[in-house]
Amino acid sequence: MLKRFVLLLVFPLALLGVFPASAAVKASEIIQRSIDGFVRPAYASLHDHARNLTGSMRKLCASPSQAELDVARKAFDATVYAWSSAEIITFGPIKENNRLERMLFWPDRKSIGLRQVQAAMADKDPTATDPQRLAGKSVGMQGLGALEFVLYGDGADTLAGRDDPYRCAYGAAIAGNIETMADEVSDAWNKPDGFAALWANPGPQNALYRDGNEAVTELVGVFINELEMVRDVRLKAFFGGRPDADRPKQAIYWRSRNTTRSLAGNLSGMDDLFQASKLGDALPSDARWMAESIHIQLVNGVTTAKSVQGPIDKTLSDPRLRDTLDHFALITSSLSTLIGTRLTAEFGLTAGFSSLDGD
Amino acid sequence: MILKTSLIDRRDFLKAAGIGLASAMTPTAWAATLAADAIFATAFVKRDGSFGAAVLSEAGKVLHAIDLPDRGHDVTFDPISKRSVVFARQPGTFAVVFDHTGRAAPLTIASISGRHFFGHGVFSPDGALLYATENDFDNAAGVVGIYDARAKFSRVGEFPTYGMGPHELLLLGDGRTIAVANGGIETHPDYGRAELNIATMKPSYVLIDRVTGDLIEKHELPSALHQLSIRHMDTDRSGTVWFGCQYRGPGTDSPLLVGRAARGKELQLLDMPSEILSALRNYIGSVSANPAAGTVAVSSPEGNSLVVFDAASGRAVSNRALVEVCGLAPDRTGFMATTGAGEIVERSGMTRSEPDYVWDNHMLRIEPAA
Repeated sequence: MLKRFVLLLVFPLALLGVFPASAAVKASEIIQRSIDGFVRPAYASLHDHARNLTGSMRKLCASPSQAELDVARKAFDATVYAWSSAEIITFGPIKENNRLERMLFWPDRKSIGLRQVQAAMADKDPTATDPQRLAGKSVGMQGLGALEFVLYGDGADTLAGRDDPYRCAYGAAIAGNIETMADEVSDAWNKPDGFAALWANPGPQNALYRDGNEAVTELVGVFINELEMVRDVRLKAFFGGRPDADRPKQAIYWRSRNTTRSLAGNLSGMDDLFQASKLGDALPSDARWMAESIHIQLVNGVTTAKSVQGPIDKTLSDPRLRDTLDHFALITSSLSTLIGTRLTAEFGLTAGFSSLDGD
Repeated sequence: MILKTSLIDRRDFLKAAGIGLASAMTPTAWAATLAADAIFATAFVKRDGSFGAAVLSEAGKVLHAIDLPDRGHDVTFDPISKRSVVFARQPGTFAVVFDHTGRAAPLTIASISGRHFFGHGVFSPDGALLYATENDFDNAAGVVGIYDARAKFSRVGEFPTYGMGPHELLLLGDGRTIAVANGGIETHPDYGRAELNIATMKPSYVLIDRVTGDLIEKHELPSALHQLSIRHMDTDRSGTVWFGCQYRGPGTDSPLLVGRAARGKELQLLDMPSEILSALRNYIGSVSANPAAGTVAVSSPEGNSLVVFDAASGRAVSNRALVEVCGLAPDRTGFMATTGAGEIVERSGMTRSEPDYVWDNHMLRIEPAA
């Protein structure tokens, strides 16, 4: 995945406090609000949805029917949306034990994960129906991408009957494993001496965040990094700008038609985080418009993404919807400039040029 | 044979490869060289958003600059023809050959279909061939592309790097062995700079015979460190290769980030005081040896930290906080450094800022004879 962008505060949060020491206190408040107001609720919501999803899958397996399949699919869609919001946080407990990749292995460029999922179902691999043993398998076999194929891929309609109990059991195990991961991450963020305490208490003795600047840098990096991820990786993966460059089957969640909903979820998560952190309150009065503008554009982006519905190949063949996707890309570009250049300049931050990522 | 040199006869290739011309400089010779005024080459971004590469004086003055179509990365130099080549940052598809004296117009090398550059390259000792790390992205395989410097840098072949995501490469002192840091990370231009295999990545350090393309040695880190991407390198005066890593695992882990690779031996990661290690924030952006001083410097733009090691003992001897430091080059008894905040820091610590420029990750010292 994209490595985070790094921003540096040249002047230690000059607008938040005159002294570096008081700036550190202010920085810790911003981070604490981010954790309490976004991170913890986002993972709690993910956990709730994942638990509901597991329950729906088990019910479907116990008494298969079209109605139960519909319920399970709805629970899957809701879990995808919750994850799309939470996944903007790419550090902390989600980064441990490869959870980030185990929750969602995407892109599956060479269809490695798909082939493993198909092989498990063809061989009726008994170890893949146990969530605990599944957790030790390839990342492509155990996350939302794998479950999407079970619920929406070729042959998924058999889930409404009793012809393929293995497929359902495997799907229930994937859901159970997702639920376990969501539970673990949520728990880890709620621990009083866990990662949250590290992030919210920067200082010389803190190995990860030596001062308030580094802690706030991590936060601002979420927006910059995720905006680029949404635009340059998720959207460009399938939307080529001209029809012959499109790759509809590279679209994330194309089988379940959750592609644009997930993009909306990403921006919705960013809006929730931005609001919760109250970063905007730290702006001087003549720059407050930026916070308002960021909020408006994020909301606009969510609405724009959600207005594109239906199969992604049909979307791509509709000039009007292509324009909408173009508009969505434009919103994310505008937000990148607004946050990555203007907001950071107001805070005396400079975009970490040398360290952008991975070189 | 792995080497694909259909366009060039093997005998001619050997001749062109300049085997035997490599110079093994003594420490005294190094000291004499490093004491003279040198120039330094680096890629940059201007504040107006345009890209380029520049040659700087020892005092940090811009002597020569060229425009680039997109962001550059590292520069390599051929002392025979006195030409430099700046490579596009990954996943860029261009490299630009330029002459800092302005005698010849810049020449653009385009990567071939199915390949992009990773940002690093090196000339053969006689300047006849240019080698560049490249991505065979559809096959997720690293390759070294070979370019004929005497034929407008036409691409004459390639050989594998025996790993994924190759980054920096070095020509070792024998003039024939190329060391490659295979970062282990899969990327594909369809997905920008997204890293696609973090759960299964497997970096390696390899030695390759540049004439035959054969693998001479391949070393991997212990499996627990499979997310420690080996990326940048330099050679100390004993011929030992120093490498710097970037960690893709959890930020709360603190793996060792700097290591040494001696021929025929296992990779050795160097212990260092925890406060120095944590200041590197799991990210080394550049590695540079000063053979005259017997030191090696590493920089971390993420940790705003510059650490110098004694090459013989492997001990960290100094560390300095420097905002967004990355570019490093040896200069007399110390190092010159550049930063993403536009500063040029001389070895004395004297800092000057070129307000229009933001310096990219790497800096190359060009000897005064050039």
